Amino acid sequence: MLSKSQARLFFIGGTCFFSAIFLGLTFHTLGQVDARQNLDLLTAEVARGKEIWDSNNCMGCHTILGEGAYYAPELTQVVKRRGKEWISIFLRDPQAMFPGKRRMVQYDFSDEQIGDVIAFLDWIGKIDTNGFPPEPDLAMAPSLVVQASAQTSAPPAYFQQVCIACHSVGGTGGSVGPALDGVGSRLTAPELDRWLADPPAVKPGTAMPNLNLPDATRAELVNWLSGLR
Amino acid sequence: MKFKSQRVAYLFFATSLLLFSLQIVYGFIMGFAHLGFDVLHDVIPFNVARTTHLNLLVVWLLSGFMGATYFIVPEEADRELYSEKLAVVQWAALVIVGVIAIIGFHLNYWEGRKFLEIPRPLDYLVVVDVLLFLFNVGMTAWNGKRFTTTGSVLLVGLVAAALLYLPGMITFESQVLDSYFRWWVVHLWVEGVWELIMGGILSFLLIKLTGVDREVIEKWLYVIVGFTFLSGILGTGHHYYYIGTPEYWLLVGGVFSALEPLAFLGMALYAVTMARRGGMSHPNRIALFWTVGCGIMSFVGAGFLGFAHTLPQVNLWTHGTIITAMHGHMAFWGAYAMLVLAIISYTMPLMTGRKLFTGWVPEWAFWTSNIGMLGMTGAFAVAGIAQVYMERKIGMDFLAVQEAIEVHFGGVLLAACLLTLGIAMFIWNFIQYGLPKEEAMAAEHLRHAA
Ligand code: HEC
Ligand code: HEC
Ligand code: HEM
Ligand code: HEM
Ligand SMILES: [Fe+2]
Repeated sequence: MLSKSQARLFFIGGTCFFSAIFLGLTFHTLGQVDARQNLDLLTAEVARGKEIWDSNNCMGCHTILGEGAYYAPELTQVVKRRGKEWISIFLRDPQAMFPGKRRMVQYDFSDEQIGDVIAFLDWIGKIDTNGFPPEPDLAMAPSLVVQASAQTSAPPAYFQQVCIACHSVGGTGGSVGPALDGVGSRLTAPELDRWLADPPAVKPGTAMPNLNLPDATRAELVNWLSGLR
Repeated sequence: MKFKSQRVAYLFFATSLLLFSLQIVYGFIMGFAHLGFDVLHDVIPFNVARTTHLNLLVVWLLSGFMGATYFIVPEEADRELYSEKLAVVQWAALVIVGVIAIIGFHLNYWEGRKFLEIPRPLDYLVVVDVLLFLFNVGMTAWNGKRFTTTGSVLLVGLVAAALLYLPGMITFESQVLDSYFRWWVVHLWVEGVWELIMGGILSFLLIKLTGVDREVIEKWLYVIVGFTFLSGILGTGHHYYYIGTPEYWLLVGGVFSALEPLAFLGMALYAVTMARRGGMSHPNRIALFWTVGCGIMSFVGAGFLGFAHTLPQVNLWTHGTIITAMHGHMAFWGAYAMLVLAIISYTMPLMTGRKLFTGWVPEWAFWTSNIGMLGMTGAFAVAGIAQVYMERKIGMDFLAVQEAIEVHFGGVLLAACLLTLGIAMFIWNFIQYGLPKEEAMAAEHLRHAA
C-alpha cells in the first residue's frame, strides 16, 4: 500500500517534471509565435489600437480570439466580415447601424483612433489561429434567388460593404431596412439621390443614418439602384 | 476556537459574504441585459457589470481563503497568530484596494483583460497586501510547535498563487502573448494552485468533521494534488488551441486537460469516503454537507462540464460562447464558493460559541442555493448549445441568434432567484451567530480538559 512519503514524492516529483516540460514548451512557443502572428505587421498603429481596445475594456462585451464576454459579436474576423469602411462608419455611431437592438457603448473616437482600432482588428484577423473561428459547416446554400433578381450589373463595392448590413437584395443581406429589390421602380433617380444624401432630412426620425457619402459614391449607388426594377 | 487570534477570520468571512451579495446584484444586471432589458446601459454598461461581477467573485473568494487560513494555520501550528493587529491592517488594505478597484471600473479605469482588470498601480498594492498576509501566516507556521501536511499544502498553494499573479502584470504589445500569459494567472490559479488551497482546506475540514486518522487523510491529499499538477500544468494547453500558438498545443492541451477531471473526481471521492468512514456523526452536520457538497459539485462543474468542452474538436465550436459561461459558473460555485461557505459553516459555532447549525434555515440555505445554481447551469447550457448550433454551425447573424436565445435568460434569472434566496438564508444565519466571543474559547478549553 502507498505510504505517505511515497505520496509526497509523487506530488513533488510530478510537479517538478511537468513544470519543466511546460517551461520548455513555452520557450519553444515563444520562438514560433512571431511568425504565426505576423510580427512584422504589428505596427505602431496596431499597438495603439490594442491600447484603445484594452483601456476601454471592449473585451467586457466582445470576444476576440474567442476570449472575453458573450454579449456582443466575436471580432477576430470582423474586418473580413464587415470591411474597414463599414466598421469606421459603425464606430462613429454604433446605435445608428442597429437601431433598437442590443446597445454598444457610444465612444467618441477621433478618425485617427478609429483607424487604429481597425488596424488592430485587421492584424488580429491575420493571426494563424489553427482555424478559429470555423466556417459554419451546416450553412444553408446561398439562395438561388440572387441570380434570379433582375440586376443589371454587380453592386458597387460600397453597397457590399455598408448598405448590405441593413438591406437585402435578392434575399441576402440585413433586415434593418426594407429589401431593395425593385427599388428602382419605386423611386426615381433624383428621389434616390436626395434620400441617400441625407435620409433624416427627407424623413425625420428615420432609422437610416446619414452616411455622409462622397458625391461620386452616391452617384454610383443611385445609378445602380435605379437599375433594380 | 483554541486561540484568541483566530477570531480575525470573522472579519474576512463577513467581507466575503458582503461582496458575494454585491456580485449577485451585478449578475442580475447582466442577466436582464441578456434578456433585452439593458435599462442601466447608460450608467452601468455591460462591460462594467461583467468586470465588477468577476472581480467581486475573485476578491470574495480570496477573502474567504484568507479568513480560512487565519483560522487554520494557528490551529495546525498550535500557537497564536504571529500578529493579530497585522492581520487587521491587512484586511483593511484589502478592503481599500477592493473599493477603489470597484469604483474605478465604473469610471472606465481598468485594463481590459478578462479577470485581470485591476489597473496596474493597484496591482502593486495587491502584491503588498498579499505579502503582508503571507508574512503573518508564514511567521506563525515557522514559529509553530508543529507543522502539518494540511497546513503546508495550504501555505504552498497560497505562496504559489501569489507568485503566479506576477505574469499577469507584464505588458505586451501583442494580443497573443498577452493572452498566453494571462492564462498563467487564470488557468494555473483555478486548475492548479487554488486546488492546493482547496485540498488543504478540505483536508482540514475532513479531519475535524469526520474524525478519520490525519495520516490517512493527508496521504490522499498528496495523491490528489499530485494529480492536479500532473494534468493541470500541461492542461493549460486547452487555452492555447486557437490564440495563435503552435498546433502541437491541440494535442498537449487535449490530452492533459482531459485528465484534469481525475483530480476533481479525487476530491469528490475523498470527501465522500472520509465522511462515510467517519459515520457522519459530527453535530455540525451542515458544515459536513457543504464540505462533501464541495467535493461533489466541483467534480460536476469543473470535471464533468470542463471535460464536455475541453477536447479541441469540441472547443473549436464552443470556444467563447455561453457554453463557457455555463461551465464557469458551476465550476467556481462547486470548487470555491462552496468551499468558503463550508469553512464559514464550520468555524462560526466555534468562534461565537453558539450552535446555530441546526434547524431549517442553514439546511434550506444549502439545498436552495445548490438547486438554484444547478438550474442556472442548465439554462446556460441550453442557451449555449442553441448559440453554438445557430451561430457557429449554421452561420446565422450574431444578434439574430441572441434574440432567439433570449428566453433562456428568463430561465437563468428564475434559477438565480432561488440561488439568491439560498444565499440570503445563509447570510441570515451568519448574522444570527453574532460576533466572535471570548467565552467561546473558554468553552473549547473546558471541552479539551474534560
Ligand atoms: C443602419 C442601417 C442602414 C444602412 C447602413 C443603410 N440603410 Fe437604407 N434604409 C434603412 C432603413 C431603416 C430604411 C427605411 C427608412 C424609413 O422608411 O424610415 C432605409 C431605406 C432606404 C431606402 C428607401 C427604400 C424604400 O423602398 O423606400 C433606400 C433606397 C436605401 N435605404 C438605400 C440605402 C443605401 C444605398 C445604403 C448604403 C449606402 C443604405 N441604404 C444603408 C437602414 C439603413
Ligand atoms: C456594452 C457592450 C459593448 C462594448 C463595451 C463594446 N461593444 Fe462593440 N458591440 C456591442 C454590441 C451589442 C454589438 C452588436 C451590434 C449592435 O447592436 O450595436 C457590437 C458590435 C461591434 C462591432 C461590429 C461587429 C459586427 O460583426 O457587426 C465592432 C467592430 C465593435 N462592436 C467594436 C467594439 C470596440 C472596438 C469596442 C471597444 C472600444 C467595443 N466594440 C465595445 C457591444 C459592445
Ligand atoms: C475549479 C476549477 C475550474 C474553474 C473555476 C474553471 C473556470 C473557468 C472559467 C471562468 C473559464 C472562462 C475563462 C476565460 O475565458 O477567461 C473556463 C474556461 C475553460 N475551462 Fe474551466 N474551470 C475549472 C476547471 C476546468 C477543468 C477541470 C476543465 C477540463 C476538463 C476545464 C475546461 C475549460 C475549458 C476548455 C475552457 C475554455 C472555454 C473556451 O474555449 O471558451 N475547466 N474555466
Ligand atoms: C445570481 C445570479 C447570477 C447571475 C444572474 C449571473 C449571470 C452572469 C452572466 C449573465 C454572466 C456573463 C455572461 C456573458 O459574458 O454574457 C456571468 C459571468 C460569470 N459569472 Fe455569473 N451570475 C450569477 C452568479 C454567479 C455566481 C454565484 C458565480 C460564482 C460562483 C458566478 C460566476 C461567474 C463567472 C465565473 C462568469 C464568467 C464566465 C465566463 O467568462 O465564461 N456568477 N454571470
Ligand atoms: Fe483552464
